[in-house]
Amino acid sequence: MIYLHLFLQFFHIGVFSFGGGYATLPFLYDISEKFGWYTLDELNNMLAVASITPGPVGINMATFAGFKTAGILGSLLATSAIIIPSLIFVIIISKFLNKFCENVYVKSVISVLKPLGCGLLTAVGVHLLINEFLSGNFNIIHFILFGLMIFISLKKKLPPAFYLALGAVFGLIS
Amino acid sequence: MDMYCIFKRFFKIGALLLGGGYVILPLLKAEIADKFDEIAEDDICEYYAISQCMPGIIAINTAGLVGHKLMGTKGAICAVTALILPAFTAIILLASFLTNIANLTIVQKAFAGIGIGVLALVFQAINEMREKSIVDKYSLIVFLCAFICLFGLKISPAFVIIAGIIFGIITGFYKAKAGKK
Repeated sequence: MIYLHLFLQFFHIGVFSFGGGYATLPFLYDISEKFGWYTLDELNNMLAVASITPGPVGINMATFAGFKTAGILGSLLATSAIIIPSLIFVIIISKFLNKFCENVYVKSVISVLKPLGCGLLTAVGVHLLINEFLSGNFNIIHFILFGLMIFISLKKKLPPAFYLALGAVFGLIS
Repeated sequence: MDMYCIFKRFFKIGALLLGGGYVILPLLKAEIADKFDEIAEDDICEYYAISQCMPGIIAINTAGLVGHKLMGTKGAICAVTALILPAFTAIILLASFLTNIANLTIVQKAFAGIGIGVLALVFQAINEMREKSIVDKYSLIVFLCAFICLFGLKISPAFVIIAGIIFGIITGFYKAKAGKK
């Protein structure tokens, strides 16, 4: 039964997530809240691992979440579930191809989905922030570290590994 | 050209695909456009643009479209499978390893700090998205609605996106009507 649920949840991510990078995060957050397959802290750790391993973050998150929930079979199911919709859309859309992006409806939908996706991700970000800093054990060093990282990210675009390594060093010495 | 060849090239791309996003573009150019006559560099840029308008993960969509162009449906399945295989293996190995060491104090301390790094990454991504997506007051309203739906009302992201698609089609309908006049 867990396998069917896993498949359906990740299949629906494949159908409804638009855009790259962290677009799958709001869905994974929603799954964590509704099914409790992993906690918010575990989601945070998953994201760390997914950001420093090769491959698209969304796929890595699916593999990790599937593994966490139901072992290797779970990770196989979750990963295939998230890519099957893509394959179906590829087969359909490759018939229209260049006309697809110029279609007035597609354009209009995308112009809505961009800020919408940003709103969803912001909601997750704020929730993770609250979970980190307001859930009881407030850590001043972590707070300063977060401020420092945000400051750096506004000045210069650095690879994810930089932030994670900096975090690990701070974590070990604090 | 055969399936093995497509598989080999996309497997290599999958192993080198670090950082996500448009990182796949130079890799596709080097491994596919420069090696196969059927695909030019322009095609790859076009597929990437189309992938952004499609549901699903951009890198997967792009690989699928390139594979489809090379060998039809079989090619698409082959390309996508090969692309995710290196990451899949890496994650399984790391996940099993991490479960074994997760209880060590030193690992927990490191991960407490890494968690802050992840948080910073999420906010960096939000900031990049904001620059590209919130351009006028309409997009700001959409942004706020989506935020409230997930944060306050706990509505599933899928429903928020379905609502967004419907809204987009309606505004598209009016735009098309205005265009004809």
